[in-house]
Amino acid sequence: MASYTAEEPTVTLERVNTPPAQTWNYLKTNDITLTVPKLSRKGDVYFALPRLFDKVETGMGQKVTDWVTSQAADSTYVEVKAGEKNHAPIVVDVDSNAGTVQDAGVLVRQGASATVVVVAHGTSAEPQTSAALVRIIVEEGAHLSLVEVVATTDAHHHLESVGIHADAGATLDIRQFLLGAGVTALGTCATLAGDNGRVSLQTHYLGEHEQTLDINHVVRMAGKNGRAEVHENGILNDSARKSLRATIDLIHGGSGSKGNEAETVLVNGDGVVNKTMPVILCDEDDVQGNHGATIGSVEPEQIDYLMDRGLSRDEATNLFVRALFDDALIEADQPLARKAVFERAQQVLGAEVAQNLLDTLGLELAADAGEKDADAQATATATKESAD
Amino acid sequence: MAEKSKRTQVEDVDRSLYDFVKSEEGYERYADGLTPDIVRAISAKKDEPQWMLDLRLKALEIYQDKQMASNWGPSIAGLDMDHISTYVSPKTKQAKDWNDVPKDIKDTFERLGIPEAERESLAGVGAQYDSEIVYHNMREEVAKQGVVYTTIEDAIHDPKWEPVVREYFGTLIPPTDHKFAALHYAVWSGGSFVYVPEGVHLDYPLQSYFRLNAQGAGQFEHTLIIVEPGADLHFIEGCSAPKYYEANLHAGAVELFVKDHARLRYSTIENWSKNMYNLNTKRATVGEDSKMEWVSGSFGSHVSYLYPTTILKGDRASCEYTGITFSGATQDLDTGCKFILLGKDTNVSADAKSISKDGGVNTFRSSVFVGKDATNARATVSCSSLMLDDISRSDTIPQMDIRNNTAQVGHEATIGRISDDTILYLMSRGCSEAEARTMVVNGFADPVSKELPLEYAVEMNNLIKIEMEGAIG
Amino acid sequence: MSQLLNISGLSAGTEEKPILHDMNLSVGAGETHVLMGPNGAGKSTLGHVIMGDPVYKVSGGTITFDGQDITDKTPDKRSLAGIFLSYQAPVEVPGVPLYSFLRTITQMRPELKMTARKFRQRVGEICDQLDMGQGFLTRELNVGFSGGEKKKVEMLQLLLLKPKLAILDETDSGLDVDALSVVSRGIEAYRRECDGALLMITHNTRILEKLDVDRTHVMVKGRLVAEGPASLIDDIDQNGFARFEQDGAAAQKAEA
Repeated sequence: MASYTAEEPTVTLERVNTPPAQTWNYLKTNDITLTVPKLSRKGDVYFALPRLFDKVETGMGQKVTDWVTSQAADSTYVEVKAGEKNHAPIVVDVDSNAGTVQDAGVLVRQGASATVVVVAHGTSAEPQTSAALVRIIVEEGAHLSLVEVVATTDAHHHLESVGIHADAGATLDIRQFLLGAGVTALGTCATLAGDNGRVSLQTHYLGEHEQTLDINHVVRMAGKNGRAEVHENGILNDSARKSLRATIDLIHGGSGSKGNEAETVLVNGDGVVNKTMPVILCDEDDVQGNHGATIGSVEPEQIDYLMDRGLSRDEATNLFVRALFDDALIEADQPLARKAVFERAQQVLGAEVAQNLLDTLGLELAADAGEKDADAQATATATKESAD
Repeated sequence: MAEKSKRTQVEDVDRSLYDFVKSEEGYERYADGLTPDIVRAISAKKDEPQWMLDLRLKALEIYQDKQMASNWGPSIAGLDMDHISTYVSPKTKQAKDWNDVPKDIKDTFERLGIPEAERESLAGVGAQYDSEIVYHNMREEVAKQGVVYTTIEDAIHDPKWEPVVREYFGTLIPPTDHKFAALHYAVWSGGSFVYVPEGVHLDYPLQSYFRLNAQGAGQFEHTLIIVEPGADLHFIEGCSAPKYYEANLHAGAVELFVKDHARLRYSTIENWSKNMYNLNTKRATVGEDSKMEWVSGSFGSHVSYLYPTTILKGDRASCEYTGITFSGATQDLDTGCKFILLGKDTNVSADAKSISKDGGVNTFRSSVFVGKDATNARATVSCSSLMLDDISRSDTIPQMDIRNNTAQVGHEATIGRISDDTILYLMSRGCSEAEARTMVVNGFADPVSKELPLEYAVEMNNLIKIEMEGAIG
Repeated sequence: MSQLLNISGLSAGTEEKPILHDMNLSVGAGETHVLMGPNGAGKSTLGHVIMGDPVYKVSGGTITFDGQDITDKTPDKRSLAGIFLSYQAPVEVPGVPLYSFLRTITQMRPELKMTARKFRQRVGEICDQLDMGQGFLTRELNVGFSGGEKKKVEMLQLLLLKPKLAILDETDSGLDVDALSVVSRGIEAYRRECDGALLMITHNTRILEKLDVDRTHVMVKGRLVAEGPASLIDDIDQNGFARFEQDGAAAQKAEA
């Protein structure tokens, strides 16, 4: 994987990560524009994903998809066979120190159960751009558990575009932990195409320093009796800038569907810019859509209470940050992911506190956490070979 | 009665205002026909001071350069942008005589119970004598308290008020705001000028309805209201009867200045006829310890862009917005509200309702901006949408931008339809299905009708009833 | 004597599943009937089907009321014909003031039309009768009302509309002592003043203590499994529904 330095050619991805319905342009909330490396891949032999994945709508949009597929050395395709419940976690390893760009496609066949873990990790102070494009098709009655961790440094930019297509009766559990990067651009699109689909999307984030978080969630509810729960909560310190767009699209024909979105944000920094755009689109009457956003700093009473217990204001607000890392450590139930969370916790909370969290949860870091999950890798290669 | 109807034709209404010959020379830039000469002619006819003419010409240039956004908002493809000057010409402004007024407009007057005498005036075929009287009386009454209620044109020609208008006009909504704001400033005509002196509380609302019918015009109206410190005013614009114009563009502007310790309530029922493109801009600035209240009922028009905006400049300024938008067949209404919280300890509470039926498209669009220094800002925006069938659309597109960490901002939105249980309950008490639905919708609109004076609330309920019956054109 | 309400061979259910099977039940004018059965028997469904709830489709049989076949009639027509259903859980209708709602539904009926002043009086009378405060007349219909308050409003409507047949669906369930007494009073006043027929749907025998019951019906799993005089209630009080459930199961088996 070539690394991005100032001398490398670049391309500007204009106004990407857009929601289906936009608002006044002067608010500058509709999108993000990113300058990314543009490598020449002349002479490279590609392994492209099956055409099946072309139909999957992704969160960041076509421009980003095109860029990733042109940058990634090859694509990773994994197929989880019908009815298979014990498939090892499929890991998408994005080493941001190396400016890795991954293009992954997963097909979860009928009735199967799969876990996909996407980890962007890095520690260097060299500017880098990494990316992960993850497209997943979840067939009838299948279950997907998707865990995403972004834990890099202020010098790194990371793009993550996720697209999930769910057929009848499919269930999706998505947990995202955005724990650090100079710029994190995350787009997630889940389409409940068949009836009785279920999606639970939870995003937790911490913004510090001068970081930028640009998040675009889209849930398309096309099938009947769909259920969507979308929750975002985050902490913004210093001069972090966050722009969140969450769209629930109740599509004609999807009667009986219910979509619910709720956001809470803790704002602590003096230079924070906090933008939110929770959207409901609806052209079906027999549905229920709700969304709510609560934005505020920690209530004065809460701070007082915590301070009465001997905590300084900073320590009190830090409690919430620790809770965030707690959640992340628990949910990132895979060695590479856990290691990335832990290393980030060390950066943010200090080594002692980080170790403390780990110990309290009774967790341990696997010795071979640095390696990709061996089984998943083997499966990926095998499938690739069989598909050739 | 025959005697009275004769008197509804007021002879001396000057309809020649926009009567001019189009100049073709050297104006390729102005291919849509709206040339500086036309603007000059308008200004000359009104005998305006130079500063107003300069403002108009500048706005015209801005209009030519500005583009409408392509990534959001209802289509305005039905507007003939290549011949925009025709919207400004008098001969096509309103129907020439009663026979030319579309049948469904006449039907609506009938069903809303509009008195015969008022119908012609509403259709623009004649000004209403009775309105003249009422308007005149209203002005005299409020003048006793020192309140000035006149038109901007008259104010400009009054040496006492010309400097005041000059100080405020066009400062809250700049011509650069958007393309139709620029157009507005180039060709504006008519509108209310209201000045409430310090400490004056007006006991009853001022209504624009009578002035409108006494003087005609309305498409490019500019309303300017100044409420001085300690004063209190309730201003009501519009009415439930549909305003019909052949040239179907309304690009109005409303600028409201609420000084310290003052209160302004601005109520509107808009019911433009269903061929209208309603691109309206309303903005208020609120001083210390002051309160701005918006009450808004939007019905009618084919396409609407309407977002009353409030700038909470002073510390402890507060704003309440209550509104309802009803989209029926062929309508695409994009409405909402915007708030800019700049002072300390400011407070915003917005409750918006929307109803969609018969294929109507309804979009609620909002924005809350909390500035860096807006300590302790509090804002709650709540939007609920009612879908009456499965062929209509209702979209909610709110946005918040918060830059102060002591702000508490809440937003909630719900969408759904009238539950079957509710319909059953009402029907099992004897209401027909249609009656039950109308009852629920009227109840849904209750937060808005509660805020209106009784006769307007009754009008609004009638409007809803008629909309629910669906036969309005 | 022809019955006021005649249900003959009635089968009904939702789109997904059948609930009521081949039911036969008659209520004469002015009579008091009780319909009992364990939870899930379909008692509430029967009440709703008589009212004409479009959620339920009649797959067989007829419903006749006051000489008319009402099987296909919409709920409003049935209401105007003289049927009243008091709900287990009345819905809230925001923005509709209770008082004007009561006025509207009363004015719809030619036999009840009266001046605004008379109406005010009448409402006041009924509130006194029921020992209800008049405070919530100005509130929005059922919005924020407690369970008890909602039931009181149902009783208020009952006495105002004077139907020929009142179906009370679990009206006594979940009420405090105060609300229970209002409901009791409402039922008494109804019987006394309107001499209307009453179909009490309940699985709790308490409220029946004060009533003069003409006939008791027992329902199990969508079927009528027993019918008898008032004494049947005591039987149920003592022994519950077990006997009927067995009978019901047997009947179902026999049919299969």
